[in-house]
Amino acid sequence: MIRLENVHKSFGDLEVLKGINLHVKEGEKVVIIGPSGSGKSTLIRCMNYLEEPTSGKVYIHNHLMSRSRRAFINKIHSSMVFQQFNLYPHMTVLDNLTLAPVKLKKIPRKEAEQTAMGYLKRVGLEEKAHVYPTTLSGGQQQRIAIARALTMQNRIIFFDEPTSALDPEMVQEVLDVMIELSHEKNFTMVVVTHEMGFAREVADRIVFVDGGVILEEGTPEHFFTNPQNERTKAFLSKIIR
Amino acid sequence: MSEIQGSLKMITNGSVLLYLIKGLGFTVVIAVFAVLLGLVIGTILALARNYCTSKKTVIFKWLSTAYIEIFRNTPLMLWIFIGLVYFPSVNVSAGFSKALGLSRTEIALLIKGIIALVLFTSSVIAEIVRGGLNSIPKGQFEAAYSQGFGIVRTLTLIVLPQTFRNIIPTLLSQVITTVKDTSYIANIAVAELLGRTFQVIQISPRYTGFTSQNVSDVFVLCGLACVMYFAINFTLSCIVRRLQKPKVRKPVSV
Repeated sequence: MIRLENVHKSFGDLEVLKGINLHVKEGEKVVIIGPSGSGKSTLIRCMNYLEEPTSGKVYIHNHLMSRSRRAFINKIHSSMVFQQFNLYPHMTVLDNLTLAPVKLKKIPRKEAEQTAMGYLKRVGLEEKAHVYPTTLSGGQQQRIAIARALTMQNRIIFFDEPTSALDPEMVQEVLDVMIELSHEKNFTMVVVTHEMGFAREVADRIVFVDGGVILEEGTPEHFFTNPQNERTKAFLSKIIR
Repeated sequence: MSEIQGSLKMITNGSVLLYLIKGLGFTVVIAVFAVLLGLVIGTILALARNYCTSKKTVIFKWLSTAYIEIFRNTPLMLWIFIGLVYFPSVNVSAGFSKALGLSRTEIALLIKGIIALVLFTSSVIAEIVRGGLNSIPKGQFEAAYSQGFGIVRTLTLIVLPQTFRNIIPTLLSQVITTVKDTSYIANIAVAELLGRTFQVIQISPRYTGFTSQNVSDVFVLCGLACVMYFAINFTLSCIVRRLQKPKVRKPVSV
């Protein structure tokens, strides 16, 4: 489904990813964790080519990613939810949800709106369809962003620290939506997060990244109860009290 | 005192007043036209300067940068005189010339002036648009790319609509500046307000009943021009100020 082969990424002199090999299977829920500055955000952004790797290969569904094929591959395979929501502020919530299906997949507007309303209902915000995103709280905006990611009906969804910019009391409402999504067998989810409770509950596999390399990966059970790597242990001891 | 009264006769003279008001009309039309055309050219320049960064297209970035910097950093007057000599003389139809109430030579000169004004204004507007583009968060591009939009539709559907909305006040300010800039055209053509004001001053004795020009003629006619420019621009400024007032945000509902 998603395959990264020896991916390196440098920003100027700073090498952020130092050879990442990762294979995410169809339907798998993978949670990437690691200290800040470890490269985990860069890693997930390389998967849909928001960052172009300096070297190495990214395959989505056996399509080799490239700068020129990014738009096409993202259109048919993946969606992303961002830390800062990145809703389009000049459009209503409903238009945010229907823009890509109507413009990219040529779905008739009526049909796209029906689908969109369905997803808004799913995230519990159907009554906000005709307001502008800036009038909503962070938690609501992020739920809308998740609904927007779903409207393209792609099988892969990337979550790049979806709860990190939220006020604490709004984190749970977003996590609840994500947990509900994770019950769907055919969704492949890759999540960068600091929410360990969520990782434990949802992940099929946890990937621990530090210093631009994958230090350890395994099931949540293995990861939280019996970590092997020293740095994993140190990281966990800091965040789990 | 009688001199002033003589001069005032000019603006109570319907035909003189109408002549000047038509001049004001030309001024406004030229300014709006220059800003609109400047907006089209300026947007293309701004996009080229900002986003033509790949190896194949970088030449456009340098061309537009050169254009913007040259016209922004040289006086408009200079380009009007250069235009007078080097820009093409456009021959308009007799009917068009009659409709505008200007001779064909005057229109040819006027067009040269307008071309210079558009060249100049588009470079200024390019930088306004670029400022607007740069104020759009990177996340907007990333959201669009992640959905599968390419650069062209990302710009046209998502980035430019927000940019234009953000720069409306600055663009209106530029209209104010451009209304004033049209007066430079008075140096080569008699069509807009200031050019016509000068024209009337030169032949003032014809209307005042005196045998020679008086200082009060200048006072009255330039005063009238002042009032007209002021009325237009002050109205625009008020609109700008209203648009720039921070909008009252609805309280966030949770």
